[in-house]
Amino acid sequence: MLRFTLNGQAVEVDAPGDTPLLWVIRDHLKLKGSKFGCGMGLCGACSMLVDGQSTRTCILPAASVANKSVTTIEGIGNPELVSAVQQAWVDASVAQCGYCQSGQIVSATALLTQNPNPSDSEIDNAMSGNICRCGTYPKIKAAIKQAASAVQNGQGKLQVGYFEPNKTATEAS
Amino acid sequence: MSTTVDQSRRRFLKQSTLAGGGLVVGIPLVGLSNAAHASEAQALAPNAILQVTPTNEVHFYLPRSEMGQGVHTGLSTLIAEELDVSPANISVHLSGANDEFANPEFGMQITGGSTSIKGHFLPLRQLAANARLVIRQAAAKQLKQPLDAIQTQDGKIFIHGKAFPYGEFVDIATALDFPEDAALKPASEFKYIGKYNQRLDAMAKSTGTAEFGLDVDFEGLHKAALKQPPVYGGSVKSFDDSSAKNMPGVKAIVAIHNGVAVVAEHYYQAKNALAKVEVQWQLPETLGAFSTHSLDANNGMGLFENALKEEGDNGHDEGDAKAIQQANKVISAQYWAPYLAHATMEPMNCTVKIENGKVDVWVGSQSPGMAKNIAALFADVSKDDVTVHSTYLGGGFGRRSASDFVAQATAIAKASNLPVQLVWSREDDTQHDLYRPAALAKFDIGLNKDGTITDWHVKRVGPNIMPYMIDETVDAMAPGFMPNAMVDWLSKRGYGLFDGWVVDPSSIEGLFEDYDSPNKQVSHVTIDPGLPMGFWRSVGHSYSGFFKESMMDEVAVALKQDAVEYRLKHLKQNPRLANVLKQAASQAGWGKPLASGHFHGVATHMSFGSFVAQVAEVSIESNDIKVHKVTCVIDCGTAVNPNVVKAQMEGGIIYGLTAALHGEITLKDGAVEQSNFHDYPMLRMNESPEFEVVIINSNESPAGVGEPGLPPIAAAVANAVYAASGKRLRSLPLKLA
Repeated sequence: MLRFTLNGQAVEVDAPGDTPLLWVIRDHLKLKGSKFGCGMGLCGACSMLVDGQSTRTCILPAASVANKSVTTIEGIGNPELVSAVQQAWVDASVAQCGYCQSGQIVSATALLTQNPNPSDSEIDNAMSGNICRCGTYPKIKAAIKQAASAVQNGQGKLQVGYFEPNKTATEAS
Repeated sequence: MSTTVDQSRRRFLKQSTLAGGGLVVGIPLVGLSNAAHASEAQALAPNAILQVTPTNEVHFYLPRSEMGQGVHTGLSTLIAEELDVSPANISVHLSGANDEFANPEFGMQITGGSTSIKGHFLPLRQLAANARLVIRQAAAKQLKQPLDAIQTQDGKIFIHGKAFPYGEFVDIATALDFPEDAALKPASEFKYIGKYNQRLDAMAKSTGTAEFGLDVDFEGLHKAALKQPPVYGGSVKSFDDSSAKNMPGVKAIVAIHNGVAVVAEHYYQAKNALAKVEVQWQLPETLGAFSTHSLDANNGMGLFENALKEEGDNGHDEGDAKAIQQANKVISAQYWAPYLAHATMEPMNCTVKIENGKVDVWVGSQSPGMAKNIAALFADVSKDDVTVHSTYLGGGFGRRSASDFVAQATAIAKASNLPVQLVWSREDDTQHDLYRPAALAKFDIGLNKDGTITDWHVKRVGPNIMPYMIDETVDAMAPGFMPNAMVDWLSKRGYGLFDGWVVDPSSIEGLFEDYDSPNKQVSHVTIDPGLPMGFWRSVGHSYSGFFKESMMDEVAVALKQDAVEYRLKHLKQNPRLANVLKQAASQAGWGKPLASGHFHGVATHMSFGSFVAQVAEVSIESNDIKVHKVTCVIDCGTAVNPNVVKAQMEGGIIYGLTAALHGEITLKDGAVEQSNFHDYPMLRMNESPEFEVVIINSNESPAGVGEPGLPPIAAAVANAVYAASGKRLRSLPLKLA
């Protein structure tokens, strides 16, 4: 039995430990926001936060997140209550086909958590693991800067749907 | 849907069972676009449907596939403009397959060829204008006021300063005769067209809640993984599933027309078990012997090179073919573009449930009508028993206009007797595409004494797309569907394929049209080893833009003339292209000093009714080509949503840069050698240039934007590389070492 924290809630899944986390989340737990793109950790569509780090979950054995905290796009925010990064994405109409954007938003969230005011080259470094075939890179870069400034001005949070482990509060700060 | 339609061709569905009720109107887009091909039955049934409910909700049933190009937003903007409702207040629903959703330019339900806005611009506006007028008429009646006094604003009727929501009048409106020709707004009064910049799908696509084909799930759905023959056209000779069939979760292992599938509870179980299935293949001989790297004169590049010696079929003949013999000077060059895969971010997939003779298909498709027919064929049911549920497309770029994966999913569901979602791996997706054709072209450009082009001769060698598309179409459509819709589809962009099968125009498009020359000769030699070909973003223009614009640069360089000035001299008959070129040069500071080590290259190209010019700023560091900035000017006529147009330019350029700098599919013994993003790399953010996009202000009819951004970019970069290094790169991808 696999046990970890998913979007703030303790979960137990009956799946072999070598199953990639992506498929445990999509097939067993039925959360579909994280996407399958390459199965080799090359494109970033499957990115989730594992203890705050943007992680390629299509090659990550689920057993390796035992007792860790996993956050998917659903845990970052939702259409009723979006995070600062998601709001910036909506405002700039970043998405085209949209398939890679969950992963892009997860990586952008991890970046801004660690570096609240990244430079262009820091954005390039942090985001170059996430491929976008529609070519939304210029808009992604602009949206990350907008989100950074919103958070710094107290106009949004990086995670709004996230629940701290062992807390039942409605919203983590 | 139960409908009562007035016999005077009014598209007014008075007793609709659409949830919410109210005013429900639709139009038959086929009939409007091409009355000759619309049967009476088609004319009487609605397709694009607009609903205004008594509770003031506005619903729009969208007849086109949304694959990122923004059509969802663009078409809704047309409705919003004439109905006078904010686009943000329109609920958009993706429509499934329906013959009545046929694309006005294709006569079949296909999204491609950069046609959606172009083909729907007037019909959808007219529908919404008619709806607004009937609501005003209803309000005039109920409020006992003259029609002239009834104004509208953002979904409300205004009279003497009082506001009433549209919904209050829709029941009365339904009882009125539906108008047919309400006046359309002049461009000067547009509130949303050309001004509205939000995407309506932005929230769903920023929160992981947009449903793509792979996200479809329901109780009892199984997942399938498929082993396909390494060479296209192969089939299963025999297979051994003894080590796979007892693996966890495995429910069935079945052979289908082109592979062996494992059906399991979960995808990862299916994938693991599939690895243990041993398959013996029957492989096709011709393609099985083809290797792109071969040095043999009858294989690989040798085949293409040899074919250049053939005379070829005539593709375009203008002026005097022999005049080139009198030319003062002839400049010749030949160029190469390799096969390319599409690499949509979402691998191909399709979900099929067959129950009691009814087939449900969930798929993100650029041609759901074709998907429906293919599913009917492979499930062996009438197409009336197939329902296609459209999802968002995780990228299309032409790949999802084919239905090979729909055929497979249906065959697996039928053979296993289970509802299945077929999931292709990235490796499947890279190795089983319908590829962008490889192309070799040779130009001979004749010049007179003052350097003016008098003869434009070009020969293209390579495979054609149409035979592969026709193959699928004929299988799925013939015979009943063929007489009008298929002929229409084949004749898109003026294809005259039934008039002798000479040259597929998509093979030569863009090679000769743009520049003035009294004599133009285009010939074509078909070389097709048998790898399947498909529509790839901008189709023939994807290579012809590189070929033609590199050639033009070579001529200008040979004559020691400025690349912009020289082009302008030959654009007297193409003023819109001349204009974007001038604007791009001025915007980019053409001819002015750049940062040390930086060089400009320019290219301009017309495709899909739009005119685009680009200037690329490039530097070279230890043989690496670095693109710093791209200035792009587009004239697409009326820009319905400028933000989407800009995004499509950036996206088209980035897609084109991936091809220009990285893209190459090679074959060994007929099998594709690349498999995933490590050996078929995509442009990433660290390689993405800065952009400056300018949209020409125009009231001309809207033209395509999804594709025209791509064709010039490879040449703009190659021309800058020449300026920087003196090395003329005539093959894609561009490599200096």
